[in-house]
Amino acid sequence: MSAQKSRVFLIFGVRVKKLNFRKVRSESVLAILLVAAAFFVGCRSNVSNSNTTSPETVSMRRVTDDLGRTVIIPVKITRAVSLAPNLTENIFAIGAGDRLVGVTTFCNYPEQAKSIAKIGDTMTPNMESIIALKPDIVFVSTASQIEVFMTTLEQQGIVVFVSDPNSLDDVFQSLIQLGDLFGTRDQAETLVSNLSGRVGQISHLVSFVEPRAERTVLPRVFVQISREPLFTIGKDSFITQLIKAAYGESVTADVETAYPKLSKETALALNPDVIILSESDDNRLPNEVFRNSPAVRDGRIYKVNADLLSRPGPRLVDAMEQIAKSLHQEKLRNK
Amino acid sequence: MNRKIIISGTLLIALLGAAIILAALFGAERLPLFDLNEQQMSILYDIRLPRILLGACVGASLAVAGAGLQSLLRNPLAEPYLLGVSNGAALGTMLAFVFFESFELSRPVLAFAGAGLATIAVYQMAKSRAGMNVERLVLSGVIVTTFLSSVIVMLTTLLDAAKLRSFTFWLLGDLSQATTNGVYLSLGAVTIGTIILMSQARALNLMMVGERDAFDFGVEVSRVRVLVFGASSLVVGAAVAASGSVGYVGLIVPHLVRLTVGSDNRLVVPFSAIAGAIFVVFADTIARTAIAPRELPVGAITALIGAPMFIYLLRRS
Repeated sequence: MSAQKSRVFLIFGVRVKKLNFRKVRSESVLAILLVAAAFFVGCRSNVSNSNTTSPETVSMRRVTDDLGRTVIIPVKITRAVSLAPNLTENIFAIGAGDRLVGVTTFCNYPEQAKSIAKIGDTMTPNMESIIALKPDIVFVSTASQIEVFMTTLEQQGIVVFVSDPNSLDDVFQSLIQLGDLFGTRDQAETLVSNLSGRVGQISHLVSFVEPRAERTVLPRVFVQISREPLFTIGKDSFITQLIKAAYGESVTADVETAYPKLSKETALALNPDVIILSESDDNRLPNEVFRNSPAVRDGRIYKVNADLLSRPGPRLVDAMEQIAKSLHQEKLRNK
Repeated sequence: MNRKIIISGTLLIALLGAAIILAALFGAERLPLFDLNEQQMSILYDIRLPRILLGACVGASLAVAGAGLQSLLRNPLAEPYLLGVSNGAALGTMLAFVFFESFELSRPVLAFAGAGLATIAVYQMAKSRAGMNVERLVLSGVIVTTFLSSVIVMLTTLLDAAKLRSFTFWLLGDLSQATTNGVYLSLGAVTIGTIILMSQARALNLMMVGERDAFDFGVEVSRVRVLVFGASSLVVGAAVAASGSVGYVGLIVPHLVRLTVGSDNRLVVPFSAIAGAIFVVFADTIARTAIAPRELPVGAITALIGAPMFIYLLRRS
């Protein structure tokens, strides 16, 4: 709040100067600015006072986050806020969900996450709500708007930790890392060995029914993120790797960026064997351009829940299982 | 004089034909000139050509609306995008999408209603007893535009994340959702709108001098106003429902036309239609091919070309 206030004054001050007011006036503006600044500093020192007077002295430790920043966090985290649905899922999965005091409106899994206080959505979290929850640490997933988060929150003595898993392996690492932070490393390790066991099992199964899977022609897969306008996955998306791990070939693996809007001409010419729909309200049917594609002709359209597919969390393994089973359905059934 | 007009008219139509043919030659997929296979035929006839033709209709719509509004309001800055007419249509389209999703025709209908309401709102705010001056009109346009933008932003916040992405793209102007039916609808709207505007061209010429003078010459001022507002709402509604908000077309195209053929609306209106079509077809070819196989929103290209061009025109005059 106070940071914003001082900025408004500043803008106001500059404006007044631009209008060419007399020097006397601009001096009085300067005076107002100084008063505002004094007020602002006063507010801040109040805050830091209240922090230092907090009863318990907590022991701290140094950790490194996914952006390579060194952050100092309490050894025992008791109050955490998650600003991304996948991080909420990760924290619950390693058994620290009870320490989440704030999540986003997007955080709808697991069921318990729905009853945790909401602090806005990932793009526009409400700083006041976050600060009011008095968290020890705030988990952020993407680098977007990170500067805004960090300065405002760190002024309040709240640590921002960036955890940005972007592949299945990243998810496993992130889970172990979170286990470390929350002191549930054992549970995290059990979970990761379970999940990677499932990944191993599904690739074993597919390579068993399709022994030469890596040498023969893999099913050519188009992943439709949104029907109109037509968005798909590009080379920077972790879903591209997920398709590969499920012994499929993404037909848009070479397209720049993670989620490009694709030309319909190109989409038509791609002739995918399989279409995977990231299932959401307006994405339940393949785009009209696929009318004559082998995928539509053979009825090989599969839906994977958008939350499973788009969140780099433990349920990504569910998505991978579903994709692998869809891609190699017939051969798996024959076994 | 007459001969010059015929020559420039023919030239402009030829240019539109050339632009369409040229645009059809370029795309994300490279097509051979002859012996197209079934799939290539489908790319050309189901995707590329409908999009080019829709672009032409949208460009013509926005340009004639700009030409009509500029003459009626005696204001060179009158343009569907700047006056809030486009935003009114955009809001209408969004409401249709949210509440009547299954009913396809609700989008152009509500877009038309939104465009009409926005036009009336701007006009009512801008007029005063002393008549209408440039500042008041532009100011009212800005107010209506920003107000409608905030309502649109509020709506996108309330919609879920997946829909939000498609809307932000669509709001910047996007022709990728062209269908054959959409082309027919836009073509119908722009034909009717242009005919209405041309029928009022003589009256508009007189009104450019001043509403009172026009009245003295026997022009039914209020009737002309209703017809011009109605026609521009119709064409803008159809254009926005099909492609979102494509800016600057209604501003720079009529200006360029006036620079070449003078300010007689009997020429400005039809010439603007053709020139607007050429402009958007050209801009969309860039949008389709610049970063293929990905795409840019066409509204970003028209603004990128339009804004500097407008500044140039402003400094020249």
